[in-house]
Amino acid sequence: MAEYDELDDTGRRNFLLRATSVVGVAGAGAACLPFVASMNPSAELLAKANTEVDLSGIPEDGMRTVAWQGKPVFILHRTKEEIKAMAATNGGLDPEQDKDRVKQPEWLVVIGVCTHMGCVPNREGPGWTCHCHGSQYDDSGRVLRGPAPKNLEVPPYRFIAAGKIMIGEA
Amino acid sequence: MKNKIIKWIDHRFPLTSFIKHELTGYPTPRNLSYWWNFGFLAGIVLMLQVLTGLFLAMHYKPDAAIAFDSIQHIMRDVNYGWLLRFMHSTGASAFFLVIYIHMARTLYYGSYRAPRELMWWTGQGLLLLLMATAFMGYLLPWGQMSFWGATVITNLFRATPFIGDQVVVWLRGDYAVGDDTLTRFFALHYLFPFLIIGAVVVHLVALHTVRSSNPSGINLADKDNIPFHPYYTSKDFFGMGVFLIAYFIVVFFFPHSLIESANNIPANPMVTPDHIVPEWYFLPFYAILRSVPNMVGGVVAMGLSVMIFAFMPFLDRSRIPGGGRYRPVYRMLFFIFMLDILVLGYVGYVPPTSQTIAIGQVATIYYFCSFLLLPLISKAEDKWLFKRGLPPKILALIASEEEEKRKRR
Amino acid sequence: MNRFIATLALCCAAFPASASENKLENFQVDTSVVAVERGVDTFMNACHGCHSLKYVHYRDLASLGIDKDRIAAWRGDSTLDSAMTSLISDEAAIQSFGIVPPDLSMMVRAREGGNSYIYSYLVGYYLTQDGKTGNHFYPITKMPDALGISSATDPAKRSELQGKAHDIVSFLSWAADPHEAERKALGYYVIGYLIILTVLLYNVKLQVWSRLKV
Repeated sequence: MAEYDELDDTGRRNFLLRATSVVGVAGAGAACLPFVASMNPSAELLAKANTEVDLSGIPEDGMRTVAWQGKPVFILHRTKEEIKAMAATNGGLDPEQDKDRVKQPEWLVVIGVCTHMGCVPNREGPGWTCHCHGSQYDDSGRVLRGPAPKNLEVPPYRFIAAGKIMIGEA
Repeated sequence: MKNKIIKWIDHRFPLTSFIKHELTGYPTPRNLSYWWNFGFLAGIVLMLQVLTGLFLAMHYKPDAAIAFDSIQHIMRDVNYGWLLRFMHSTGASAFFLVIYIHMARTLYYGSYRAPRELMWWTGQGLLLLLMATAFMGYLLPWGQMSFWGATVITNLFRATPFIGDQVVVWLRGDYAVGDDTLTRFFALHYLFPFLIIGAVVVHLVALHTVRSSNPSGINLADKDNIPFHPYYTSKDFFGMGVFLIAYFIVVFFFPHSLIESANNIPANPMVTPDHIVPEWYFLPFYAILRSVPNMVGGVVAMGLSVMIFAFMPFLDRSRIPGGGRYRPVYRMLFFIFMLDILVLGYVGYVPPTSQTIAIGQVATIYYFCSFLLLPLISKAEDKWLFKRGLPPKILALIASEEEEKRKRR
Repeated sequence: MNRFIATLALCCAAFPASASENKLENFQVDTSVVAVERGVDTFMNACHGCHSLKYVHYRDLASLGIDKDRIAAWRGDSTLDSAMTSLISDEAAIQSFGIVPPDLSMMVRAREGGNSYIYSYLVGYYLTQDGKTGNHFYPITKMPDALGISSATDPAKRSELQGKAHDIVSFLSWAADPHEAERKALGYYVIGYLIILTVLLYNVKLQVWSRLKV
């Protein structure tokens, strides 16, 4: 082949080559961003991040399950006795006061996903039992018996009117 | 540390030697012009299409009831979905533009001649795979043009002797283009690019066996070859920069120019658009199809018009290398052929009138004559050129090629 | 090579002319949010009764920057997440017009002539001798003169209705491609970057090739 000066690749590379490489790599990196971003939830899913729930149809001692961000949320309309019973204890394996888990004591709003492996527990009054591995929760969603380690998660929610909550916004 | 890892690999895998032999140190003629950039560019566009296609496939739904909706979802709701979609639609056109220029370069410089016939034929195979991929991809948005274009083209298979009707139904999966057609076209559209990648590997193996042709037509002496890296890597990357500027100008500022307005209307099997038009890269072949009044004849003519390129190594009887470089008649034929293709493209685009049909028929006849008369013309031109006199280098090359042929017999 | 380019240019010039005898108005879309907002308002009054925009959601209007209360007034009982579907059912539409009024989400892109065509169509209604309305640009249309321009003889009134049509088309233009502004803005940055990169790459190429001993 024709003679040519070997590119000096053991030490100093000239400034032009260095600058071009930096600009090129930066561009290639920036070019990845739209692809990665496209995998994030799209606009209509972010819109469904909040769910409005009308509590008026739920009778005392009744429970309704609603969908929020693809997950079930248990809404329990607690009786005075149930509230008293929950206030009396701190739960079980993951001690927490009942009043810290509710905004209005007669309404319990928890994500119905077992904190062990993610199954949906069944309502087995009082509380819930997860049929996958036997975890038990009380009427405050606190774990009484494992293998679940933590209490049922309380989603961010707030009362937007009497008898209406918006799940997704605290 | 890096060298230790590389040494470990080299013991077990020809990494360094492969890179040195086939990539960085690979001997390439020093006189390649920018017309030789287009193979690399085709590879770049292939990668762009596979990448954008993959990410589009994460959101697209290949179900006739919701396909069009899923495209709207991508365009409106998916983060940067509009960018993925426009890159992919523009990329399809870019792919054909690059490939057609690549083919034109090969035809002009006679790079299809011995010993590069297999390169030309693997290229032919790649063109067919690309056309099939593009055709199937065009159905996916499920717009009016998608649906009716697929209907017209699948209908052509009726020309198959004896079993034509069954072939059409088998292709479609239904009596008319429908959900089954869409789903299988999606599956195949996803598959074919990987077949293309495989065929590209074969194409490159062939290339590395016979080495690049060059504008002079003569096999250069060893001293006139230069290593691919850094000369052609730097030239290819610069060419890629120019290409990306043109490509992204279209993507960001004129993306709708390549999307037929009728395709913004959801497919309606009950209503045919006024004017069914394929994408620009199929127009010349479409014109040839419509030029023949008989349906089977039209299909045969169209198929032949694509396949006839394969015969070039046999049709060109000239002993003079370099294509149009030293052969003025061949050069003129080449340029008129390019003009002919543009005329055919125009004929394919406009709604057919008696005038345009006539022009199309003349252009179709010229198209085939360019190939079929080439043996005669190339031989006659050779006679004339030898009499007139050729550069000594060319005569020397011809003499040595004859010598080789004699030895092989 | 030059012959190639010349013939290419020749072919580009030979595009088929528009078939309508009436010339399309040269329409310049107003991409500002205020124009789009006026367009939505006019649309909700004059068009929404029959035409839907199934791919445009009320929340998209919020993303554009329109005030949420205004959107609430427009959407009435529909939620913010819902699409801008029309008030009329398909059956009722066919009863009244013989056809379901087409969805307008992509209409400016779905017609040759785009924005100019839609605008010209909207202001192209005229009164025939027997008191019926016709349209210069789509004579077989089943759509009534929604803006009432065919009976507007007063130049001030005509001008006002043309303004309304202008706003509607500006809105529909946004509706067909909500990311257009973002796309063009990003485009300037990308092309700018690529020009810099290509200039650098060109210089690298020159530098590398200069080392080649002749």
